[in-house]
Parts: sequence; structure tokens; C-alpha cells
Amino acid sequence: MSDLVETSEPIGAVRREPLRSRLKIPLMLTPALAIILLLFGGGILVGAGQSFGYFPAIGLNEFTFDYYRSVLTDPNFLRSLWLTFRIAATATVLSSILAVAFALVLRHNFRGSRLATFLFQIPLPVPHLVAASGIVLLVTQSGLFARLAYSLGVIEVPADFPVMVFDEAGIAIILTFLWKEIPFVGLVVLAILQSVGPQYEEQARTLGANGRQRFFHVLLPLIMPGILSTSIIIFAFTFASYEIPLLLGVRFPATLPVVAFRQYQDPDLALRPEAMAISVVLAIVALLLLIAYRRLAQYAVKR
Amino acid sequence: MTNVVLKHLSRRFGDHLAVRDLNLEIASGEMVAFLGPSGCGKTTTLRMITGLIQPTSGDVLFDGESVVGIPTERRGAVMVFQKHLLFPTMNVADNVGFGLKMAGVEKPEIARRVDEILELVELPGLGDRKAHELSGGQQQRVALARALVVHPQVLLLDEPLANLDANLRITMRHLIRTIQRELGITAIFVTHDQEEAVMLADRVALMFDGVVQQVGEPNSFYKRPATARVAQFFRNSNFLPGQRTGNVVTTSVGDVEVDPDLVPEGSGHVVLTVRPEEVQPVLDGSTEGNVVPATIESVIYMGSYTQLEARIGDETWNVQTSAAFMPKDGETVMLRLPREHLWIVRDDSSEEGAVAS
Ligand SMILES: Nc1ncnc2c1ncn2[C@@H]1O[C@H](COP(=O)(O)OP(=O)(O)OP(=O)(O)O)[C@@H](O)[C@H]1O
Ligand SMILES: [Mg+2]
Repeated sequence: MSDLVETSEPIGAVRREPLRSRLKIPLMLTPALAIILLLFGGGILVGAGQSFGYFPAIGLNEFTFDYYRSVLTDPNFLRSLWLTFRIAATATVLSSILAVAFALVLRHNFRGSRLATFLFQIPLPVPHLVAASGIVLLVTQSGLFARLAYSLGVIEVPADFPVMVFDEAGIAIILTFLWKEIPFVGLVVLAILQSVGPQYEEQARTLGANGRQRFFHVLLPLIMPGILSTSIIIFAFTFASYEIPLLLGVRFPATLPVVAFRQYQDPDLALRPEAMAISVVLAIVALLLLIAYRRLAQYAVKR
Repeated sequence: MTNVVLKHLSRRFGDHLAVRDLNLEIASGEMVAFLGPSGCGKTTTLRMITGLIQPTSGDVLFDGESVVGIPTERRGAVMVFQKHLLFPTMNVADNVGFGLKMAGVEKPEIARRVDEILELVELPGLGDRKAHELSGGQQQRVALARALVVHPQVLLLDEPLANLDANLRITMRHLIRTIQRELGITAIFVTHDQEEAVMLADRVALMFDGVVQQVGEPNSFYKRPATARVAQFFRNSNFLPGQRTGNVVTTSVGDVEVDPDLVPEGSGHVVLTVRPEEVQPVLDGSTEGNVVPATIESVIYMGSYTQLEARIGDETWNVQTSAAFMPKDGETVMLRLPREHLWIVRDDSSEEGAVAS
């Protein structure tokens, strides 16, 4: 589902519109939103109910904060939260920076620039799971990179290759996210750059601005709204994603979505309220982080 | 204080020669107008001077040194673009102060100079507005202020007054001229309006199709247009072909004498011209001094003068005379083509079909 959300995000829809047309789109979306709310809102309600101890299927119907208390006092909770945040934040920041770098190159016309832009977009329709298996083939100690490094004599035995999968740093997880998300941010930034054209930079040049000044004072403010909205989507997705960390992450500590998923999957239904409590906490933390980020970014852009 | 020399400057786009072998020397502190119809290569020339595009061949020199290898931002030539490109992410004050900020000028100094120049372009107190909250004419003045405030060595203005009403145009012309003179800025001003070129510039360079047709002081375009097309661009389409022998030109309406001190030497086929305001109706029946018969085709009373269309031989001439002279349509009158105003243009009708019929 997250894949769907991500790829159907309209590219370049970042400029501020007058109030009337800004309202028009939400209004037109109302029927679709209503269905989504019914289907998913119902699920969320049930889940939230379970987290508060309302789970008639296993004979629970007492309202309680016990599950939250047990989740929040678990010493491993903070560790998992931090890991989740670190991976999501790193993936978001790195993919934004790298995407801007790619977009700055791809917007020029050079020999093969169209082919390069095409190749750049390939990760977009590839499912995250496929991306993850690809990354595994490349970066495990028996993977392509390790063998390459070994045959080139860079490392003496394949086991010397740095551990990137099932590692606590989550390198393979981050790499997978980067591979998937860079084109997403990149295409949004590229669309903005192409619609703006070189004119503002030319004007800045004749006013004496060098390359660095043109980037920071002219280009960056222009593409910032695009980076902002895409990075929010990416952060929200990577923060809540469970399949990649489940596949590529170390067993302990696991990211919060993975912990929740494992408890949810457990045949012991009594673990489910806790899983739901984790999910709710996760959602609230994500929301708070995103609000804070938006505030911060708007403040930074204004200055 | 920079003098600018353009040497055999050419620019090709695909197989289209946008600028062809342009040679021009602009003295330090001089203001030259590039005048010409749309698409004649004015903007292209300015962009080559700033370095935003490279010449296909030829050279641009500032103070005798070629600047072709020097990037735009280090040439010290500030350009005001035809589309007044205000940075959409900045307010007016930040737009105007942009060049100073890039040069590392202190903030209070920037604020002071921005306020000062906004006052001069008659936009005081608008510093906090965003660019899109201004009218087209206001944006144009902000763009102008943004260029003037850095006190550039070379100032390139690409139709900077196009969106202004008549009054503001006059004010802004005056402002540009004053600041340019005061600071000794070498300026090139692009326009397709001949009146603006004449009013503003020390010298005018008239371009057609990427080729400079004539360079000179404004009045030379009125008194001594090089070709029929140049004359027409300056609203003179009075032409009369003839055969020249010495100082006498034989035309279909009789012999006409030219002033050898005024017109270049030559003989054979020539095209004569006299500006509409210099043609004189002859009322006393005299036939002395280049008097030719003409048939009146239309008379328009313009208040302070009368505008006549008169047929001379096979040509239609425009004549502006005193409002007292009001002939009737179809009437035959005598017109004097005064020797001191008679000029010979190069006939470029075959080149462009330029001579009016
Ligand atoms: N980047 C470009 N690529 C191809 N052709 C171009 C380019 N820039 C200009 N031209 C062509 O070169 C010619 C001169 O263009 P230029 O912009 O210099 O005209 P101009 O005199 O400034 O006209 P206007 O008064 O309409 O602004 C035009 O025929 C134009 O189509
Ligand atoms: Mg132009």
C-alpha cells in the first residue's frame, strides 16, 4: 500500500495555489477519502481499541493503559525507537541530498542525458522487497561486491568485507531505501528545475553570484518546497516500514514496526494488544516528528 | 569606467545567423541604444556581452582585454532582462539587495542603499512585498533598481521600460540617464522604439536581421539614413528614384538638384528622400529650387499640422505642413524638396522589398 501512495503522488505539485483552488481538490477527493476512511479508519479504530484492552475475541473488554505502560517501560522500546528513527532519518536526509545532486546533473542536456534520466527512474516501479533482495545479492559477505573486492585483492578473505546486512547500523536497509527513494525525490526536484529553467540563475550570475551562491540563494529556495513534501512522505514511509528491516535487519534490536509485526504475528493472541499499542505510539511519534520537521523547515526556508 | 568593444561578433543558432559580424566600440560612460525590430538579434548580442552565451566567432573586449573566457559573474556586466526576473522566493528588498549581498556588503549598508534606490524608482516602502504581489510595471522597476544599486561597470538593459505607462517611462528614462551619467556607467540599452532610442542614447545602433545597418548620433538617422529601410524605420517613407549626373538627378517629375556638400558623390541610379516635415508646399507659384508637381490623395487635419498623402510620379509621399495649408483631395499642388534637406539613400528595395509603394 505504501508503494501505491508513493508513486501516485503528483510530481511537481508543490507550488502554492490560491485558496479557492487549494480547497477544490480536497472537495473533489471527498468521495474517495470517505471510502478510504471507512475501510482503514475502521481498522485503525479496532486496532486502537485493542491497544486499550478492548478485544472481545479473547475475552478482553476492560479499558486499560496497561499495554501502553508495559510498552513504554520496556527498556528495549527506546532502543528500538531510536533505531527506527535513525534509519528513517538517515534514509530521508541522504536520499534528499543525493536526489538533488542527481537532479542538478540530469537537468542539463548532455550526450545520453535522456538515457540517464530513464535509468534513474527504473527503481520507481520496483517493489521494495525486490529491491531488498537485489541489495542483499550485492552487499552480503558472499555477495557481488565482496567477491569483486576479493578478486581485486582489496580484501584478503570475503569475510573481511564489512557487514552490511543483519547489522546493527542497518546499512543494507538504508541502501535499499536510498535506491528506492532517490528517484522519487529526484524526479520531483527535476520537474521543478525544468519548469523554472535557467533564467533565475542567469539573472543571478549577471548580478555577480558564483556557483555556490546561486545554488544556496536561488536554486535551493526554489526546490525546497518539493524536497519538503517528498521528504515528509519518505520519512513517514521509512519510519513505518516493516518488511525491509524484517528482511535485512539484525534480529535484535529490531525497529519498532518489526517488533509490532512479530507480536502481531505471534500465535498467542494475548500479545496483540501490545502490538497495537506499539503501532499507535509509532504513529503518534511519526506525526509529532513530521509536524516538528515541517515547522523547522518552513522556518529555515523563510530565513 | 569601462569601454566595451565588439569585434566581428557573430552568433549562430543551428543554421540561423542571429548576429552577423557586429563591430562596435562603446566609449567609457557612453550610452548606446541597440534598436531594431523583434528578432533582429538585440538580446543575443547582450547575452554575448554578459557571457551568458558564447559568440560563434568574434570577440568582446572590456578595456581592451578580451572577456570571452571570463565567466559572467566576474565580468561586472549587469543585465536587466526583458522578462523582469524577480526571484520569486524573495521579497522586494531582498531582490534589490541581491547583488550587494553576493558581493559581501554589510547588512545595514545594503538596507540603506536598497531603501535609497527604491525611493528613486518611486517604490518606497514596498520592500516587504513578494515579487508576485507587484504589478508588471512595478516589477520592472524593481528589476531596474536591482541592477542600478550595485553600481555596475557595464549596464545592459533589455527593454527595461516596456511595461510602463508614458509618465513612468519618462521618469525612469530620466533616472537611468542620471544614474548612468553620475556613475559613468557604460550602458547598452535595447529597444524597438526609435523615439526611446533617440531620447535616451548618446549613439544608436540600428540592427536588422542580425546586421548593424547604421551607427551614429540620433539625428543622423533622421538626416542621413543609410538605406531606404533605415529611413522607413524612422518613419520616413518618401522615396523618389532617378538618374544622377553630377549634382542633378533626373526623375519622372523633372530635374532635382542635390547639395554636393551634403550627399556623397556618385552617379547613376539613386533614390532621393526628404523627411515628411521638411517638404514644403509652394504657394507663390515659384518653380525655382526643386519644385515638383504632386497630386493630393488624402488630407488629414491633425490639429497642430496637416498630414498629406501626395503622389509624386509613381511614389506616394507623406507631407506634414502647417495647419493653414488645406488642399483638397485630387488637387495638384507644387511641392518643394529643399536642397538642404534632400538626401540620397541606398536602395535596398531589392534586398527586402523595403521601399514603400
Ligand atoms: N537559444 C536560441 N536558440 C535558437 N534560436 C535563438 C535562440 N535565441 C535566439 N534565437 C533566434 O535568434 C534571433 C535573434 O533573437 P533575439 O532574442 O536576439 O532577438 P531580439 O532582437 O532580442 O528580439 P525581441 O525584440 O523580440 O526581443 C531570433 O530569430 C531568435 O529566434
Ligand atoms: Mg529580445
